[in-house]
Amino acid sequence: MPRDDLELVQGTLDLLVLKALTFGPMHGYAVARWVAQATDADLQVEEGALYTSLHRMEKRGWIEAEWGLSDNNRKAKYYQLTTPGRRQLRAEAERWTRYARAVFKVLEAA
Amino acid sequence: MERASRFRRLFRLDRGAADVEGEVAAELEFHLDMSARELAARGMSPTEARREAARRFGDVDDTRRELTALGRARAVSERRARRGAAIMQDVRYAVRGLRRKPGFTLGVVLTLGLGIGANATMFGIVDRLLFRPPAFLERPDEVNRVYFVRTFDGTARSTSNTSYRRYQDLRADLRAFSDIAGFWRTDLAVGLGDDAREMQVATVSPEFWEIFAARPVRGRFFGAAEDVPPAGSPVAVIGYEFWQAELGGGEVLDTQIRIGRRDYTIVGIAPKGFAALWMTPAAAYIPLTAGGAELGGGELDLATEYGFSWMEILVRRKRGVSAESASAELTRAYLSSYESQRVAQPPQPPTEQVRPRALATSVLRERGPNQTTVAKVAVWLIGVSLIVLIIACANVGNLLLARALGRRREIAVRLALGVSRGRLLGQLFLESMLLALLGGAAGLLLAQWGGELIRASLLPDAGWSDPVFDPRVLGITALAAVAAGLVAGLAPVLQARRVDLSAALKAGAREGTYQRSRTRMALLVVQCALSVVLLVGAGLFVRSFRNVHDVRLGFDPEQVLYVSTQMRGEELADDRMDQLKERLREGAAALPGVETASRTLTVPFFQSVDVSLFVPGIDSVDRLGIFTMQAGSPTYFATMGTRVLRGRPIADTDRRGAPLAMVVSASMARTLWPGGEAIGRCVKVGSDTMPCAEVVGIAEDVKRESLTDDAGLLYYLSMAQYPPGAGGLFVRTRGPAAEQAEAVRRGLQGLMPGGSYVNVTPMDDFVAPNMRSWQLGATMFTAFGLLALLVAAVGLYSVIAYNVSQRRHELSVRVALGARTGDIVRLVLRDALRLAVVAVALGTAMVLYASRWVEPLLFGTSARDPLILAAIGAGLLLVAALASFVPALRASRVHPAVALRAD
Repeated sequence: MPRDDLELVQGTLDLLVLKALTFGPMHGYAVARWVAQATDADLQVEEGALYTSLHRMEKRGWIEAEWGLSDNNRKAKYYQLTTPGRRQLRAEAERWTRYARAVFKVLEAA
Repeated sequence: MERASRFRRLFRLDRGAADVEGEVAAELEFHLDMSARELAARGMSPTEARREAARRFGDVDDTRRELTALGRARAVSERRARRGAAIMQDVRYAVRGLRRKPGFTLGVVLTLGLGIGANATMFGIVDRLLFRPPAFLERPDEVNRVYFVRTFDGTARSTSNTSYRRYQDLRADLRAFSDIAGFWRTDLAVGLGDDAREMQVATVSPEFWEIFAARPVRGRFFGAAEDVPPAGSPVAVIGYEFWQAELGGGEVLDTQIRIGRRDYTIVGIAPKGFAALWMTPAAAYIPLTAGGAELGGGELDLATEYGFSWMEILVRRKRGVSAESASAELTRAYLSSYESQRVAQPPQPPTEQVRPRALATSVLRERGPNQTTVAKVAVWLIGVSLIVLIIACANVGNLLLARALGRRREIAVRLALGVSRGRLLGQLFLESMLLALLGGAAGLLLAQWGGELIRASLLPDAGWSDPVFDPRVLGITALAAVAAGLVAGLAPVLQARRVDLSAALKAGAREGTYQRSRTRMALLVVQCALSVVLLVGAGLFVRSFRNVHDVRLGFDPEQVLYVSTQMRGEELADDRMDQLKERLREGAAALPGVETASRTLTVPFFQSVDVSLFVPGIDSVDRLGIFTMQAGSPTYFATMGTRVLRGRPIADTDRRGAPLAMVVSASMARTLWPGGEAIGRCVKVGSDTMPCAEVVGIAEDVKRESLTDDAGLLYYLSMAQYPPGAGGLFVRTRGPAAEQAEAVRRGLQGLMPGGSYVNVTPMDDFVAPNMRSWQLGATMFTAFGLLALLVAAVGLYSVIAYNVSQRRHELSVRVALGARTGDIVRLVLRDALRLAVVAVALGTAMVLYASRWVEPLLFGTSARDPLILAAIGAGLLLVAALASFVPALRASRVHPAVALRAD
């Protein structure tokens, strides 16, 4: 159902994925579901972009991947955070928060 | 959710391209499947759910492509990193292994270093002599040096020296060349007063500058208008190095500088490092005619005189002209010039007899027709250094092999643990290459130092100013190092391939049976045989050198000084000059360190004069050979140490106005009057109308220009009866002449008028260069031979020690059964000597085979001298016995209980 999808700024998707993975190892589908659920479906993640983000971050060493078995015994690729990934998440989150606060301050000034 | 085993990640194997695609497809498939399932759970049909899932995803194919590309790139970089890490790991492992055995590493590096260094040195030297074209020469293959060939008493003699008149004749006549230049280089006094020093000054025609692609740093080079006979214009180009060092590098253009007898105006400065055809840059360059006038002394007319041969010719052929056609045209022009000479300045031998020919040959003197023995010996020495390298490689191969044998168990364990055989072999190879590279670096250092040593001691005339190294030598060294690494590393690699895992891993794997490593024995025999060859060569050259040294020269060079005068513009009439020289002679004789002094006209091995002789009863004396003239004071024979065999020497009574007297050499007497009496005969010097000179004495033969074949045809006149004012002095010193040279010079300098001065040279300086080739051969062969022997001895020791350790078990049993120390030692020694005997036999065979090529380089000894062969053979046997003595002794001392115990 097409909605007013808020388009994600590049880099924010990475942030969301990293945050998702703080809750434990997940496969790509689970991450997509988690983001949709956590934002109350306000943010609709483009699934192709999600996978690109996952693979890119794996290459950069922020997450690592393993093949495992899903709940229904199917082979799935699971991702989890690495220590540098956690560091990256913290830094990015802080930066994003400051950015949002600054924008908010501007918008609030009536 | 299960986790994949982390352990698997440690051994993650290489991911191929197909893998990446498959994984990406599987991942996306899973997602779409889950998505479809969820949608189906909400009520859609499976196909519709599938379609919706795909739609929601976005562009599946696009994503798949992107992920695949990403994955592939990652796989590639991962693979590269892994390989790099593997190599680094191997290198670290190899370095660790080498550090653990410092003795072994040092031994190998040193051995390889010596082998490679020897090659680099010799190649550097030979390169300079034979291969490297002069700098600043564009298209060197188009440039030739011209040689003239004439036939005298049946033998063709070639020389590059010619006269200015001949040069002019050729220049007018030739079409095949774009430039024809004349040149020469000599010592002239440069500067005035106290600053005056003899320096190398080149004299060149303007075309010389055209042939070389040099541009003047300042000013200009001289042109054709300034090079006109009789003496050219007094302009000079000075060398860059001279300008910097002696003239301070400031503004010098248009200033004057005294060179030889004239003042020259400096018109230009040659570029840095410009040495033209010579090894070191000249101090200055003056026009050819100016140089000719300087050397000719003003009495000579350069433009017409054919007989004064003082310069050389350099040509650049036109494009497309071959050297053969150039030679043909040169010959034609030379013939025509010779005909003109016969008309203008008779008498000259007929053209059919002389058969003049000209050659356009290589610019490098050592590649022309008059190649000196030094170059030949140097080329031989490259062969020798290659042999040394082979020996070094064989030895290193042996050492590496021994080490590999010792590591058999380690290798077996690693193979069992899963290391691929390829990786293992690669690592062994890496070790060898690492050692070879270290050896190469050591070799370069040794070559640098060794090259300096050789240059200084054995080839001082060469005087190279820049280092022996250039990219070519470095390239050869690198090649040698890599080759050495490959060859030496081959042995252990081949060994590792044959490792039998189970046999090596078995507990108690001491080698029960005595395994003689046949490869190692063979390598060792080859090493020893080659050492024999080198040492025999050394023996032959040492003997040749001693023979040459012992050659009776007919005079005593160690005690004689040659004194010459440099008048530098001080013009004296002939009789005044004569008085001056007599004063110098008396002054010299009065000096404390001097025994006697005599006037002299010519100098053996340096300057000679030959004129036509006419003897009644003999048609043509010239046909019988070249007769060198000498003139001296009554003290001449005493000064030189030349014995008078019969009759009397030159005496005081042979004054001007008295009947002309002559002393002839024994060979001359034999040649002119074979079987008859020479004393009392008549000889006319110069022309048939001259008065007779009566032969009053016969002197022993004197070597005039060559130590090996010199006809020794020499005759002596009285200086008092010779045109006055000519020649120099011989001074005989008490004790070695070289030490007295400076004292004599100072003593005589005071007698010289004005700005003139005396030059004092020990006779040894003229004679020694002729012995240089044998000296070089003797020194280098001995050095290399001893080196080879040392390396072989070390190799022998290690092989015997290894064999003995293999036989420890067996030998201990013998000892336990009652064998004495002597028996054990004899047993081991027998093995070693058997090896040595085979090596000596092989080496002797090689020497006998190669003897025919070495023969021409020797002097006074046959290449198959049995005494030397026997001596070297015995020497090797002795060395073998000594080298095996220590391990043998140690083997006999091992306590049987220790050796017999199970591992």
